[in-house]
Amino acid sequence: MKKVSIILATVLGLGLGVISCEDYLDVQPPFAQDAENYFNSPEDYELALIGAYDLLQASFLNIWIGEIASDNSIAGGESVTDTEGLHEIDNMNHDAVNNELRNVFRWNYAGVTRANYIMEFEDKIDFDGKAEIIAQTRFLRAYYYFQLTKYFGDIPLIVDRRLGAEEVTNIDRTSKSEVYDQIESDLKFAAANLPWSNPVKGRVEKGAALALLGKVHLYQDEFTDAAAAFDQIITQGNYALVSDFQNLWLADFEDNSETVFDVEYSGQEGGGYGCLICLEGNAAAGFHGPRQYEGPIYGIGNSYNLPTQDLYDAFDPNDPRRDISILDIEAFKASQPNPNDVSYVEGGGGHTGYYNNKYIKRKNELGLPDDDLTSPLNNKVIRYADVLLMAAEANAQLGNDGPALTYLNQVRSRAGMPSLSGSGQQLLEAIWRERRLELAGEGHRFFDLVRTGQAANEIDNFIPGKHEVFPIPQVEIDLTGNNWNQNNNY
Amino acid sequence: MEQLKLKLGRVCAAIFLLLSSSFLTAQQVTVRGTVTEAGNKEPLPGVNIVVKGTTNGTLTNLDGSYSIKANLGDTLNYSFIGFESQAKTVLKGGVLNVSLKEESTLLDEIVVVGYGSSTKKEITGAASKVDGAEVKKLNIPRVDQALQGAVSGVQINTNSGSPGGSSSIRIRGLSTFGDNDPLILVDGIVYDSEGLNALNPNDIESINVLKDATAGIYGVRAANGVIIIETKKGARNSKPQIEFSGFYGIQETTNRLDLLNATEYAIIKNNAFINGGQEAPFNNTSLGEGTDWQDAVFQTAPMQSYNLSINGGGKSSRYSIGGSYYTQDGIVGGDKSNFTRYNVRLNYSFELSDRFKLNNVALYTNESRSTLPENGIGSVLYNTVNAYPTEPLRQENGRYSYLNQVNDIINPLAQMENTFNDFGTNKLVGKEELIFTINENFTFTNRFNYNVALTDGKVFSPLVWYGPGKAQNTAANEDLDAPQVEIADSVFLDRGASVYEERNTFVDLTYESYLNYERTFNQDHKVKSTLGVSVFNRSGNGLSGTAFNIPNNSIDFADISANQADGGFLNNTGSFEFEERLLSAFLRAEYGYKNKYLLSAIVRRDGSSRFGANNRWGIFPAVSGAWVFSDEDFFKIDAIDFAKLRMSYGVSGNDQIPNFAYRALLNGEGVYVFNDIITQGVAIGRASNPDLKWETTAQFNVGVDLTAYKNWSLTANYFVKNTRDLLFQPEVSGVLGTYSAGGFPPFVNAGDVRNRGYELELGYQNNPVNDWQISANFNMAAIDNEVMSVPDGVDFIPGAQFGVGGDEATRFEEGQPIGYFIGYETDGIFQTQQEIDNAPVVQKGAQPGDLRFVDQNGDGVINFNDDSDRVNIGSPIPDFTFGLNFRVAYKGVDLSGNLYAAIGQEIIRNYERQQPFANQQAFIIERWTGPGSTDEIPRVTTGTTRNNVFSDYFVEDGSFLRVRNIQLGYTLPEKWIKSAKANSLRVYISVNNPFTFTSYRGYDPDIGNFGGVLSAGVDYGFYPQARSIMGGFNLKF
Repeated sequence: MKKVSIILATVLGLGLGVISCEDYLDVQPPFAQDAENYFNSPEDYELALIGAYDLLQASFLNIWIGEIASDNSIAGGESVTDTEGLHEIDNMNHDAVNNELRNVFRWNYAGVTRANYIMEFEDKIDFDGKAEIIAQTRFLRAYYYFQLTKYFGDIPLIVDRRLGAEEVTNIDRTSKSEVYDQIESDLKFAAANLPWSNPVKGRVEKGAALALLGKVHLYQDEFTDAAAAFDQIITQGNYALVSDFQNLWLADFEDNSETVFDVEYSGQEGGGYGCLICLEGNAAAGFHGPRQYEGPIYGIGNSYNLPTQDLYDAFDPNDPRRDISILDIEAFKASQPNPNDVSYVEGGGGHTGYYNNKYIKRKNELGLPDDDLTSPLNNKVIRYADVLLMAAEANAQLGNDGPALTYLNQVRSRAGMPSLSGSGQQLLEAIWRERRLELAGEGHRFFDLVRTGQAANEIDNFIPGKHEVFPIPQVEIDLTGNNWNQNNNY
Repeated sequence: MEQLKLKLGRVCAAIFLLLSSSFLTAQQVTVRGTVTEAGNKEPLPGVNIVVKGTTNGTLTNLDGSYSIKANLGDTLNYSFIGFESQAKTVLKGGVLNVSLKEESTLLDEIVVVGYGSSTKKEITGAASKVDGAEVKKLNIPRVDQALQGAVSGVQINTNSGSPGGSSSIRIRGLSTFGDNDPLILVDGIVYDSEGLNALNPNDIESINVLKDATAGIYGVRAANGVIIIETKKGARNSKPQIEFSGFYGIQETTNRLDLLNATEYAIIKNNAFINGGQEAPFNNTSLGEGTDWQDAVFQTAPMQSYNLSINGGGKSSRYSIGGSYYTQDGIVGGDKSNFTRYNVRLNYSFELSDRFKLNNVALYTNESRSTLPENGIGSVLYNTVNAYPTEPLRQENGRYSYLNQVNDIINPLAQMENTFNDFGTNKLVGKEELIFTINENFTFTNRFNYNVALTDGKVFSPLVWYGPGKAQNTAANEDLDAPQVEIADSVFLDRGASVYEERNTFVDLTYESYLNYERTFNQDHKVKSTLGVSVFNRSGNGLSGTAFNIPNNSIDFADISANQADGGFLNNTGSFEFEERLLSAFLRAEYGYKNKYLLSAIVRRDGSSRFGANNRWGIFPAVSGAWVFSDEDFFKIDAIDFAKLRMSYGVSGNDQIPNFAYRALLNGEGVYVFNDIITQGVAIGRASNPDLKWETTAQFNVGVDLTAYKNWSLTANYFVKNTRDLLFQPEVSGVLGTYSAGGFPPFVNAGDVRNRGYELELGYQNNPVNDWQISANFNMAAIDNEVMSVPDGVDFIPGAQFGVGGDEATRFEEGQPIGYFIGYETDGIFQTQQEIDNAPVVQKGAQPGDLRFVDQNGDGVINFNDDSDRVNIGSPIPDFTFGLNFRVAYKGVDLSGNLYAAIGQEIIRNYERQQPFANQQAFIIERWTGPGSTDEIPRVTTGTTRNNVFSDYFVEDGSFLRVRNIQLGYTLPEKWIKSAKANSLRVYISVNNPFTFTSYRGYDPDIGNFGGVLSAGVDYGFYPQARSIMGGFNLKF
C-alpha cells in the first residue's frame, strides 16, 4: 500500500506541478512580426511605407462626394437607399449619421496612423535613402490630413505617434489653422527631399508636394504662397498638357506629361462589395457606368454619380470637353449603326440620361472579370491643367492678370477653345468657370464652390454657415467620450 | 508532445496524499448461484456482485452464474444497470440464487457530470439526458440535429440544410457576441461543433447536457453549457452481439417558393415600369408559365447508410467495435452537394488487474464534402429565386442562358455545373485512460486524449462566362478566353482556369489526471470529492496554394501539379501555424445526508494562452444543493414517488477569441500599386489590448424534479444567466486608425447580456403490460434575452445589412434582445394623394400605393436619415420552443414520432434582389393597384420609392411546428428468423420532416445564424432541409 501511495503522490504531484508553471502558457506567435519590434532594416521602412500609400485608394470617395455634393451630379444607384449617405449629401440633408462621411473620417485617419507609425520609429536606424522615405511618408500624412480638414474643419491632430485606445477620450479637436501648419511643414519637408522625377510609376515626386502645398495655401486664401509654389512647378518645366484631352481618361495613357499626382489603381485583383477599401481597383470608375449595359465601348456599371443637365448645359456645345466628360447615353445609342445594339437599365436611385465619361469602365479596360470593382483607372488627384488653373487663380487674386490669363488660355487652347481676355473679378470668375468645365467629374467642384464662396448660389439647399464642412460623424463624437462640439448648425 | 513532457517534468508543487486502508479477518466461505431476471427468469449476465465494504467483487457469466469468496456475515450487493440492486447477507457457503427486478423509475439512471458520474436522484444541477436510441432513430448524419426538440433549453437551428451542414447549438440562449457554441466532449475528448460530422449517431450511448453553473467544473469553456456524449462500450461477460443495420432514403425539398410565372411576371413588370415613368418592357404578356427555375434546380436525392457493430466482453474486458458508411446527396446540386463519411471505431476496456483498468477509445473517420455557394447573395438559391421566368434555361445554341436583365444574378444551373468545391477530413480521435482503484474510497484516473484532424480542400475555378458583366465570370469573354494579367511593365500573362488547394493539420492533446473519493460514513453521510488537473494543447498548421492555367479547363487536371502558368508567376501560396494552451486545476466536493440533503461545491482555476500575461488566470466557483423533500416524514402525497428541489449558482468563463488578440501583429493589409503592379507592404492588423480578460457568466438556477405514479416524471427549471465583460470588437474611434483593409479594432471586454427563462420536461413511460409499450416526453422552454449594457461611447453594434448596400437591419443594443431587427413600422398603404396631403405626418416622396410609415417620435415627419422613427420590429429569438417525442409499441410493431415547434421569432425576407427585372414572389400579385385594392402590399415601381427601406413589410412571423420524424417499425417474430441464426430483425420505414406548419413564406423557417450572432433570422435564400423517406433494417446476431 505504501508503494502505491508513493506512486500516486508522485504522479499527482507531477500533474499539479504543471499548474503553477506559468510559462507553459506563454505561447509566442510563430512567424509573425510584432508591431513593437519592427523597423530593423531599410526594407522594413519601405514595406511600412507601402502600407501608408494603401489608404490613398480611399480617394474614390472624393470623386463621388466632390461631385454629388455639388451642382455637377446626382447620387444615382440601384435605389435611393443604395449607398444612402450619398443620396443625403446629394439632397444637402446629410447629418451626423452618414456611412460615407464616416468612411472618409476612418480611412484618412488610418492613413495618418500608418504614416505616424513610421514617423514614430523615424530615428530607430539610419541608412541611405531614409530622407526620401520620410519625405514620402510626410507627404502622405499631409494629404490625409488635408482631406480630413477639408471635409470636417477642426480635427484631432496626432503627430509622430500612435494613439492608445485608452487615450481617445482625452483628445480634442485641433483648430484648422494648426492642422494646416502641420500639413505645410510636412509638405515643405517633402518638397525639399523628394526628386523631381522618380522612375517608379506611382511614387510621389517633388512636383506633387509643391502642387499640394500650393493647393493648401489656396484653400487658406494665402495667394502669394500659393502662387509661389505653383510658379516653381511651372518654371521647372517638368510637366506639360497632353495634346489630346480624350487620352487623359484612358488607362493606357497614364503617367503622361500632365500627371502631377495620381492615386494608382489596378484591375488585376478582384474583390467584393463588402469592403471597398480592400479593393485595388477604382470603385468610382467601376460604379459610374450604365446598369446592365450591353453595347460597344463601355462596360456595365451601377449608375452612380450621374452628371446633371446643369453641368451638361454649362459647356459650350462646341467644347469637345463636354462629350469627353459626359456620356449622353441616348445620343450615344442613336449614333450607333444599329441603335438596338445598345441597351441599359435606369437605376431606381435617379436618372439624368448622363454618365461620367472620364471615370468609367471601358471594354478594353475590364481587367479581371469583376467588372465594377476592378477598374484600373487612376484617380488624377492633381494634373497639370489643375496646377495651371490654380496658378491662374492665385495670380488673378494677386492682381497678376497677365500670368493668370496665360495659364488659363493654355488650358483652353489645349481643348481647342478660343482664348479669353479680361481682368479683375471677371477674370477670376472666368477661371472658376473654366475649372468646372476642365475638371468636371473629377471630384473638385464642391470644394471649389465652398472655397470660393459660390456654394450657396450654385447648390440647392446649401445653407451658408453650415454646409461648408460636413458634420463630424456622431458616432465618432460618442466614441471619443462625447467631448467634441458638432460642427455649426448640424 | 516533447514539450509537454518537459513541462510536466518541471515540478513546481506537489501534494502528497495519505491513504489508509483497513484489513479484516474472519471465516471465509464460497458463495455461488445464478442471477435471473425477476419476470421471465432469464439468466442475467454481467451482474456486478461486490462484498460490501470491500473491493472484492465479481460478475455473472453468460449463463448468469457466479462464484465469490466472502466471510460469514458479509453483505453481498447485486447490481446491474436498469435493475434494482439487492443486498443479501452471507449466512453460509453454497448456493445463493438471486432474482433482480427491473427498475421502475429512472432515478438511478447514470448521469455523466464531468470527471465523474452521478445518478439522476443525486444530481444537484440542471442536466438533461438523451438516450442513444433516440438519436439513432432519426437517421440523421449529425448528432446535434438529434437534440432539436429533445432537451428543453437547448435550441438547435440548422445553419444549412445541405448535406454535412452544421447546426447552431444554443444552451439557454445567446449569451455572448462571439462564439455561443457549448463545450462538446465525446468520451471526454473536446470536439468543436463543426467536428461533430465525424461522429456516427449510431455509436452513441447517451448524450448529457449540463445547462447550469454546475457545468463550471469545466471552467473557462463552460459558459455556454456542456454537452457530454458517451459512445457505446459493450458489456462484460457477454456474448459478442453483432448488429448490422442500414437504410436507404430519397430526399426532396420541404418547400418551394411561390414565384411569379412568366405571364404574371410580365404583367407585374409592365406595371412597375409604367409606375416608374418608363416604357413597359413587355408588349405581349401572354407568355404562359415560362421557366420554373426552382423545378430545374431542386431534385430528389438519395441518401444511405450502413452500420456494423460488435459488442461484447469477457471476464475482465469489454469491447465495442464498429464501422459505418453514410452518404447523402443534396436536394440542390445532387452530388455537387454531397456528404460522405466512413468511420471505424474501437472501444476497448480491459482490467489489467484488480486495481488497474485501461480504457481505450479510438475513432477513425474519413469525411468528404462537396459544397455549392449557399445562404448569401450569389448563392445558388438566391440566383434561383431572382432569375426571371421569361428566360429559358438554355439559349438556342445550347449554352446556358445569361439572365442579362439582372445585375449579379447568374444562371443557377450554369453555376452548379461550374462549381467544384471538395473538402475532405481524415480524423483520428481517441483516448487512453488508466483508472487505478486505490481502495474502496479512492480511484485515480489518468488519461491522455488526442484529436488529430487532417483536412484538405480543393476548389477548381474553370473559365466560365455567365453573361456580359457578371461579377462571377472568370473568362474574358463568351469564347472562354483567359483574361490577361500584367505581371510587370507590359508583360502580360493569361490567367486561365485555376485550382486552389489546402492541406491543414490540427492536433488537440489533453492530459487529465484526477482523483475521486467516495465514502459513506455511518450509513447516512455520503462524501464525494474530485481533485484534478487538465493540460490542453491545440496546434495547427496549414499550407495552401493556387495554380493557374489548368489544361483543358477541366476538373480532370485540377491539381497544383498541373499548373501551366509561365514561370509559376501566378502561384499564390499561403501558410499558417498556431498553438494555444490551457492549464487547469479543479476541485469538487459533494456531501449528501441520507440521500436527502445534497450539497456540492466546485472551484476551477484556468489559465489560457489566449490572454496576455496581465490577465491570464481565472477562477470559477459554483455551489449547488438539492433537497429530496419526498423523503421527509411530513411528505404524505402518495401519488408522488419522488420530489427534489434543486438550486445552483456559479460562475463560468469564455475565452473564445482569436489567439494573440491581446497584442498587435503586422498582419494587416498594406498593398499599393507601383508600376501597375500590385505591391505588398506591411500594416498593423488588429489593434492590441494587453488587458483582455475572461468573459464571465454567472448563472442562478432553481428547479424541481418529480416522479409520480411510478411512470410520470417532471423536471422544471428557472434560471437567470448574466454574462459580463463580453469579449468582442466594438467600434472604436476612427482616430485610432484601425479601420482600413485588414485592420480591425481591438478586442475588449465590454457589454452585458442577460438570459432568463424556464424549462419544463414531462415524461411518461408505462410498465410494459399486455405487450404494450408507451412512452412520451414533452419539453418546452421560454427565454427572455436582453442586452444589459453596451461598450462606452457606443449606442449599439450594427449587424446584418438589408438588401444590397442597404440599411443595417439588426443590432446589439441595450434594452433589446441580441440581434433584434430595427426598422420602420408600417401602418398600411396610402390609398390616395388626398390621403397623403391630409396626413398629419409628412412622409417625403410618398405616392398613392406606398407604405405608410409610423412617426415614432411624433415630430410630424418620417425621418429617413436617422434613427428617430426606427423601432424594434422583430427578433430572431423564439418566445417558446416545444418538443414532443413519443413511442408506441405493440408486440412487434412500433411507431414513434418527434415534433418540434418554435413560436414567436421573426425572419427577415432578404432573398429578394430589389432590381427592376428580378423575379418576385407571387404574393405581389395582390399588390396595390388603386384606391381600396389592398392595405398590405405596396405598389410596384422601378422609380424612386421608399418602399424598399427596411420596414416590417420585410419581416415575417417565423413561428413553425415541424413534424421531424415519424417511424413505423416491425420486429419479425423470432421463429421466422431463427433459421438464419439471427436474434432479431427489425424493419422500418421512416419519414423525416413530413410536415411543417408555418406562415413563413421563405424556404424554411428553421434557419440558424450563418454569419454570426447578428445574422440570426436573416434569410438570404436558405438551403432548406430535405424531406426524406427512408426504409431500413436492423439485424442482430
